[in-house]
Amino acid sequence: MRAFCKRNLLVFFRDRLAIFFSLLSTFIIIGLYVLFLGDVWTSGFSEFGNMREVMDNWIMAGLLAVTSVTTTMGAFGVMIGDRSQKIMKDLYCSPISRTKLTGGYVLSAFLIGMCLTGVTLVLAQLYIVLYGGSWLSLTALVQVAGIVTLTTFSNTALVFFAVSFISSESAFSTMSTVIGTLIGFVTGIYLPIGSLPDAVQWVVKCFPPSHGAALLRRVMMAEPLERVAIPEEALPAIKETLGVEFYFGEQAMGVWPSLLILLCSGVLFFGLSIWSVNRKKKA
Amino acid sequence: MRHIIEVKNLKKSYKDVRAVKDISFYAEEGKLFAFLGPNGAGKSTTIDIICTFLRADEGEILVDGLVLGQQDDQIRRSIGAVFQDGLLDQLLTVEENLRVRGSLYGLRGEALSKAVAAALELVGLHALAKRPYGKLSGGQRRRCDIARALVHTPKILFLDEPTTGLDPQTRKAVWDTILTLQKERGMTVFLTTHYMEEAADADYVIVIDDGRIAAKGTPAELRENYASDCLLLSVRDREAVSARLAERQVLFTEVGGRLKIKLPDTKSALPLLRLCEDEIDSFEVLSGTMDDAFLGITGKEMRT
Repeated sequence: MRAFCKRNLLVFFRDRLAIFFSLLSTFIIIGLYVLFLGDVWTSGFSEFGNMREVMDNWIMAGLLAVTSVTTTMGAFGVMIGDRSQKIMKDLYCSPISRTKLTGGYVLSAFLIGMCLTGVTLVLAQLYIVLYGGSWLSLTALVQVAGIVTLTTFSNTALVFFAVSFISSESAFSTMSTVIGTLIGFVTGIYLPIGSLPDAVQWVVKCFPPSHGAALLRRVMMAEPLERVAIPEEALPAIKETLGVEFYFGEQAMGVWPSLLILLCSGVLFFGLSIWSVNRKKKA
Repeated sequence: MRHIIEVKNLKKSYKDVRAVKDISFYAEEGKLFAFLGPNGAGKSTTIDIICTFLRADEGEILVDGLVLGQQDDQIRRSIGAVFQDGLLDQLLTVEENLRVRGSLYGLRGEALSKAVAAALELVGLHALAKRPYGKLSGGQRRRCDIARALVHTPKILFLDEPTTGLDPQTRKAVWDTILTLQKERGMTVFLTTHYMEEAADADYVIVIDDGRIAAKGTPAELRENYASDCLLLSVRDREAVSARLAERQVLFTEVGGRLKIKLPDTKSALPLLRLCEDEIDSFEVLSGTMDDAFLGITGKEMRT
């Protein structure tokens, strides 16, 4: 399985276009933010002083969550390609079990997601520092790495389940486009969750990657929030608006439920994917 | 000679299309074995089943003494397969592709490097090892496919229409590679083709049509049994010659202004030639070809 996983990584990273497209949503979000979203949000909170660093960290946290989804999805393109170009046939005639093949695709998707999200994290930090912010502390960095790992795990499962129904390249690229477009909204990045209607807020809260985004925001924005003059009583409302803390009714969710949602959704969707893959094998 | 492949009562349907309808045959070790038939006859389906890719509906298959369906993993290690369309990674180089596929057979490190180098040597692709597979020409690509099938030194090499879509020179080069492998390495080669002249090079041919075995034998046997030799005559006085032939109860047809007479063998042309000697402008004696045999067996032109 290791050898096969290595092959998938090789095939993916050799395809520059695939890398570009799996990062397209990331580029679009950065572009929009640099061009105008950043200024809009920063000036929206101008009553509390210079919110630039807070908002920079806010967008970068969301960006990492989105990147983790789109890159794992891009990575599964290798599997779709193998199916549509019939390369599967050659693999099936090799002495490697189908379970190991599937495992190889999933593992490589996870690793690709981790790797590209890691690169995005470095670039995000550079961006923040370039605009006058400060580096994440080591503790925060370790926490971010942990959250990214868990989010990527959950996303890999989610995306794996989605692509298990697909076998043609055109269906896959359509799905990538749709998810790439929606993801920025569904994780509350283009618009902070607080400015969305109630029903849409629910969608955001039910979508596992949003919890990854929320956790990342919590860690990445903690220090910058201390450096601005936000009155104690205004803080919870701001955190709710920006999606740092999800509220169910009056109740703040806190860290553990989000972590649990990521973990459980990961396990659940892996289970569903295995069911979906086996269902096809019998047919 | 040991039977390296044994197929008994093989059946396979795709939904309501019966692709393979009860075929049985065996292939001997070290021989070149050809499956000949028009498109859609069931050749590829049969190969796909023996290569463990498709599951048979019914039937028993032994490959190198291993039972298909029970010892698939061991079978996969003892066979190498080249499928109709190249199934390697376009963006990876020839060498990377071979290394990747070789590693699926558990080859590592030094052993893997040696196996890749040996496979490249066999098909003469050493110079192109660093070129991406997607940038190779059709013939180079096909040779690379063969190298991939050989990387784990299998006992049996399966080729599904290895020369289809190649220009005549490349076809010959690929074909020579295959013949060398069989003759010099003693490898059992099992291939499907719809080129007669290729089947003529095989040790044993099975003609398959519409999911059934229509005929089998060595190329010589098939020619003998299903293709007839013939004599073509251009004559000055057609009436006179036809009368003479009719007298002797020799059947003939007219083809393009010439008389065509079917012969049991080429030698039987001699008395007929003597009979009409004075009237003959020119003549031609044709011995039966594999094409004729094929037409004789399936009763139809090649479907394409």
